[in-house]
Amino acid sequence: MSAPARGAAVPVAPPAPGLTPLLVLRRLAVPAATASRRVLADRGGLVTSVVFFLLVSVVLSALWRAAAGPSGTVVGYTAAELTWYAFAAEAAVCTIDLRLIERIGEDISSGSVAVEMLRPLPVVAVRLAVESGRALGRLVALVVVGSGAAWLLAGPPPDALHGLLALVSLALGVVVNVAAQHVVASAAFRLRDVRATWFLYQKTVFILGGMLLPLEVLPGALRTLALWCPFMAMAYAPARLATGQGTALLLLVQAGWLVVLVAAAAFVFARGQRRLEVVGG
Amino acid sequence: MVLPAERPRPADDVDPATLAIRATGLVKRFGSGPHAVDAVRDLSVSVRQGERVAYIGPNGAGKSTSIKILTGILRPTQGTATVLGFVPWQDRRRLAARTGTLFGQRSQLWFELTPRQSFRMLAAIYGLDRAREQRRVAELGELLDAADLFDAPVRTLSLGQRMRCELAACLLHEPEILFLDEPTIGLDLLAKRRLRELLVELNEAAGTTVFLTSHDVADIEHVAERVVVIDHGRVVYDDDVPTLRRSLLATKLVDVGLGGPAPAIVLDGVREVARDDALLRLSVDTTRTSIRSVLDVVLDRCDVVDISVVDPPLEQVIAEIFAAEQA
Repeated sequence: MSAPARGAAVPVAPPAPGLTPLLVLRRLAVPAATASRRVLADRGGLVTSVVFFLLVSVVLSALWRAAAGPSGTVVGYTAAELTWYAFAAEAAVCTIDLRLIERIGEDISSGSVAVEMLRPLPVVAVRLAVESGRALGRLVALVVVGSGAAWLLAGPPPDALHGLLALVSLALGVVVNVAAQHVVASAAFRLRDVRATWFLYQKTVFILGGMLLPLEVLPGALRTLALWCPFMAMAYAPARLATGQGTALLLLVQAGWLVVLVAAAAFVFARGQRRLEVVGG
Repeated sequence: MVLPAERPRPADDVDPATLAIRATGLVKRFGSGPHAVDAVRDLSVSVRQGERVAYIGPNGAGKSTSIKILTGILRPTQGTATVLGFVPWQDRRRLAARTGTLFGQRSQLWFELTPRQSFRMLAAIYGLDRAREQRRVAELGELLDAADLFDAPVRTLSLGQRMRCELAACLLHEPEILFLDEPTIGLDLLAKRRLRELLVELNEAAGTTVFLTSHDVADIEHVAERVVVIDHGRVVYDDDVPTLRRSLLATKLVDVGLGGPAPAIVLDGVREVARDDALLRLSVDTTRTSIRSVLDVVLDRCDVVDISVVDPPLEQVIAEIFAAEQA
């Protein structure tokens, strides 16, 4: 490190640094990968997540198998497909910190987010990268264990192509969910407590996201509403692909929601930070 | 004492092009109407590149608000400022790439990670390549005597250890200015001393401008070359530390734990400020009588069970500044 002369002329501010979206993504890859590795190295946390996931998935899939009967179907899904549905939908949601909205809200309302504003990348971009990294790290473990358990209970997955699509869809669903939670948590820039928001969000994902039940089970208007909401991209899309139904179009829908929600998160955080700049934290 | 109104401030007579920080007429108003509060009002301050400046004031004086304006977190209601040529609130991210900020009560490390993992993430965010990151982490491990802390989870570190790691995180990208908001708060004496030494070493080795807020008089004495005192959002004193030391920091407090009755201590520049059966507190003007002389007399005449020499609290120093200003 060279020591500039005391009282030396301060360098003139350089032109725009040229941080293209690609360069930002490259810079964010390391935080995401580090967060993923950290989650996988935390054996205790991982075991807790896996046990919780297995417990819920096994119970839920047993209920659906009972509803379908040995040779029957429920809204077009066989008992085996419903088992894969339950495991995939649970994996998509259980990978994410259950209290993520609350945690983001606390960071905003306590002013901790101000420290993050002093970095050369957008606050929301770093947060999305780190939280997605954490969730995707956990997803690897849940997919490995969940696939094994679903296979034992219901036989092999429907087909390799849908299995592959379901994996991509799970990853997309997780990132969509993380982005949506940042949008909701940004309410903390105005409200002091976002716990109620978290509760509402979680229950909406359970029902309209297809985590507890396939969206085809819902009555007409509600089903239509659910299919037009972003929540379907979080659990329903990967779970449907895991049953061997649905097409790659679901991935496109998820990608669309991802773009919309990341843009929305960037917008609401920028607005929130602007408010912080004016009224303080 | 010579007050700023009577002579130029230390940074007033330098070429504006050499200033790392230049703020003029800053006002920050929170709220509106009858409930509006001016946290900063008509604040003007300049800092030369490579200076070590202590920025002090009582609680609520506007110190943190000023730092938040100068780093771009807050947008002033009025006034102008440039930091390294950037308008902070317009170019916060570009400025962030060249400054480091340490808030004593806020962490920038990820608690579930080790400091080394946090540095890896921060290095990527700041665009440092792997080789530069590794070189910097090794340099900082040596400079901060903290290499053995970098692989322990942050949540297991003591406050003093964590602050050294926080400082390393701030310095990773070789900032030209270091903003430090209460960096020694909560640290034990050894950790405080080490942190102060580090800041001076860093400034002397790399020319890093240090802009420090603190409630601890020792931080000012041992780190800063210049002191800016603000109150109610305005600069009320701005001078170099030797001048301040001569005029105000020359006073020390001697606390004597007593085992029995003690006679009055009569020495030039020594004043008894508190006394009970177990404690005698003396205020000593060290320009008139040395601490050593006072200790000799106290140990000779009193039944001493404990003794300590401390700085007067910052509030007292500030009160004396205000008293001198009003006189």
